[in-house]
Amino acid sequence: MVRLANISGLTFFVCLISCRQKSADQTITIQWKNEQAVAVAIPGTFTADIPQDSVSELITINIAEQENPVGILGSFEQKESGLLFTPMIPFTRGMRYDVRIRGRRGGGFEIPENNAGNAPSVTAIYPSADTLPENLLKIYLHFDQPMRERMSGKYVKLVKNRRDTIDGAFLDLQPELWNPERTVLTLWLDPGRIKRDLQPNKRLGAPMQGGSHYQLIVSQAWTDVRGRKLAKSFQKAFITVGKDSLSPQPSQWKLESPSATTKNALKIGFKEPLDHSLLQEVFTVHDSNGAKVAGQWQVDKAEMQCRFIPNAAWKSGNYKLLIETRLEDLAGNNLIRPFDRDITQKSKPVTTEIIELPFTVD
Amino acid sequence: MKKVYFLLAALAGLVFLANTSRVKPAKYGMAVGTPEIRSISGLAFGPDGVLLVGDSKSATVFAIDTKDAAANANAQPTEIKNIDQKIAALLGTDAANISIQDIAVNPVSKNIYCGVQSADGTPVLLKITGDKIEAVNTKNVPFSSLALNNAPAEDAKDKRGNSVRVAAISDIGFADGKVLVSGLSGQEFNSTFRSISFPFANKQDQSTLEIYHAAHGKYETLAPIRTFTIAEIKGKKYLVASYTCTPLVLFPMDELKPGTHVKGRTVAEMGSGNSPIDMVTVSKGGESFLMMANSSRPVFKVKYKSIEAYQGALTTPVVESFATAGVDFVSLPVTNVIQMDKLDDSRMIIVQRRSNGSLDLWTSSERYL
Repeated sequence: MVRLANISGLTFFVCLISCRQKSADQTITIQWKNEQAVAVAIPGTFTADIPQDSVSELITINIAEQENPVGILGSFEQKESGLLFTPMIPFTRGMRYDVRIRGRRGGGFEIPENNAGNAPSVTAIYPSADTLPENLLKIYLHFDQPMRERMSGKYVKLVKNRRDTIDGAFLDLQPELWNPERTVLTLWLDPGRIKRDLQPNKRLGAPMQGGSHYQLIVSQAWTDVRGRKLAKSFQKAFITVGKDSLSPQPSQWKLESPSATTKNALKIGFKEPLDHSLLQEVFTVHDSNGAKVAGQWQVDKAEMQCRFIPNAAWKSGNYKLLIETRLEDLAGNNLIRPFDRDITQKSKPVTTEIIELPFTVD
Repeated sequence: MKKVYFLLAALAGLVFLANTSRVKPAKYGMAVGTPEIRSISGLAFGPDGVLLVGDSKSATVFAIDTKDAAANANAQPTEIKNIDQKIAALLGTDAANISIQDIAVNPVSKNIYCGVQSADGTPVLLKITGDKIEAVNTKNVPFSSLALNNAPAEDAKDKRGNSVRVAAISDIGFADGKVLVSGLSGQEFNSTFRSISFPFANKQDQSTLEIYHAAHGKYETLAPIRTFTIAEIKGKKYLVASYTCTPLVLFPMDELKPGTHVKGRTVAEMGSGNSPIDMVTVSKGGESFLMMANSSRPVFKVKYKSIEAYQGALTTPVVESFATAGVDFVSLPVTNVIQMDKLDDSRMIIVQRRSNGSLDLWTSSERYL
């Protein structure tokens, strides 16, 4: 039964409080899509004496028990099942609504709480290592359901040495940085506090200090878009080490070439963890003709290694690994520019967008 | 052969009829349809009541002809108490389930447009006229759209097949026939600023700028733009941008060209633990002011005169006491402003969380200037 309610587009009937007969043509029907009440069908018995062209003026849907009932914005459409009312946003779980004809209550319906389906979970927190630089810049939270936005300030805390919650550790960003599916959120540790010599850094200091224990805690109270709370609270414990102010050096990376005629992975070891999200985007493999080799990228060893598995078996020959220089380490230093650069030190500005590393398949 | 001519003539007649009696050639290269807006990250007005909607989720800018273009030279002040509750009731939900994403005043009609998002992510576009709040029709309306470049590559997907790209449009504006869009990326700590010609061209005529701003002491700070406005300083147009970690920077508009790296000048540092929300330029008695609303500070007022005066001092490469110097500003006794836009030359529409907890929309008077 619980499963049944989970089926999208499922329609079920809510009996009118005022109904005398339990026949289908007198019940208001809620229409469901993705576990959300997206519309109601009002049976013809309600609307029999309403002229077609004045439906939107004479029929209103409003939240029940309001002092001054306000008609909900939406559109009416005449269907076989009755008059279909689609509100601009889905009806809210746990709320009751009235249908009014010429201002008088003709019936009502309730949207039941969502007890079906799985509670959402935090599936991953990146970086995944348990030792992180004190000037860590970004934390990625991955969820298995689209989550409610604008909640991170309330539900994500950074706690030092199991005691002190750090105020203002994360940048208060509106809009929050979600992926389009709203399953991945980026949190920035306040960059103004990380960068040397800026006012926030001078006044408040860096949000984290080296050699300390920290816990990132995600509260269970955070709900997904369906209104379901997280299955449990989630936390990630880590310790901090010193500041990382150096750009990653691809020339120091370790490339492990696969053998020809296999589909074995090309392995790239970075000798330090790099940004999980950018690692998914910045690499391309080209063959000796400059053609892109199709395949899958995997990030592992706590973001210290990437593996490239080609769709077709490797052919022997020379290849190139192309790396976009926007790739960053955990402290926001990218391949050509440290996060925090001392401009009085003359360094040769590098503007290249791609760095190439050759490798050979035998 | 005759028949063909006949047919052609008939067709021509039809086309002629269609052109004259029914479909007026759409303005600004728009076509009638239903824009698929997935989120409302920012709102601004282009010419003649064209509403610009920045949609982070689909990485697209929509231009919609609202046909709300009757000039209103004498806008009456608007005040709506508990606007969140009023909008929630109209949407059939609790105030806790909605958030006001942005407001924009139509500079022609002076009506207020408001982007709202429900808890499940559904975007809603509303229009406020006096104390009346109504839905903006987005079905079968003239519109055009432009996908922002740097959209995620098709193979940039994680194991579950979701796009991992995290990005947002942080502000949108319109000046000199260009749609201006600032963006935040969740992955790289830098800024994109696009200037897109309007009407949107088939060929994407847009520039992507990475912007640095000069160091206070000796460290270069690369940072993302949070909000911006355009202002004229000494007869020259400037982009006045405010940042997530270090505020107020000026960029000459004529230097923002495709593919260039422009160094801006920081003119003020406005405090820590704060993120700017909205900026507008208003004037009174021939003097103009920059008004800036903030996440955890009151509304700041900066005289453009002070910014102009500061220009001289900034010709030296690095000012020693830069961090503490900067342009002077006044903190207004107006706190917790979550949205702000310009109503006319001297007044603003403000959405403010009052100390009693009520979220009110009101019109500022000249006395704040």
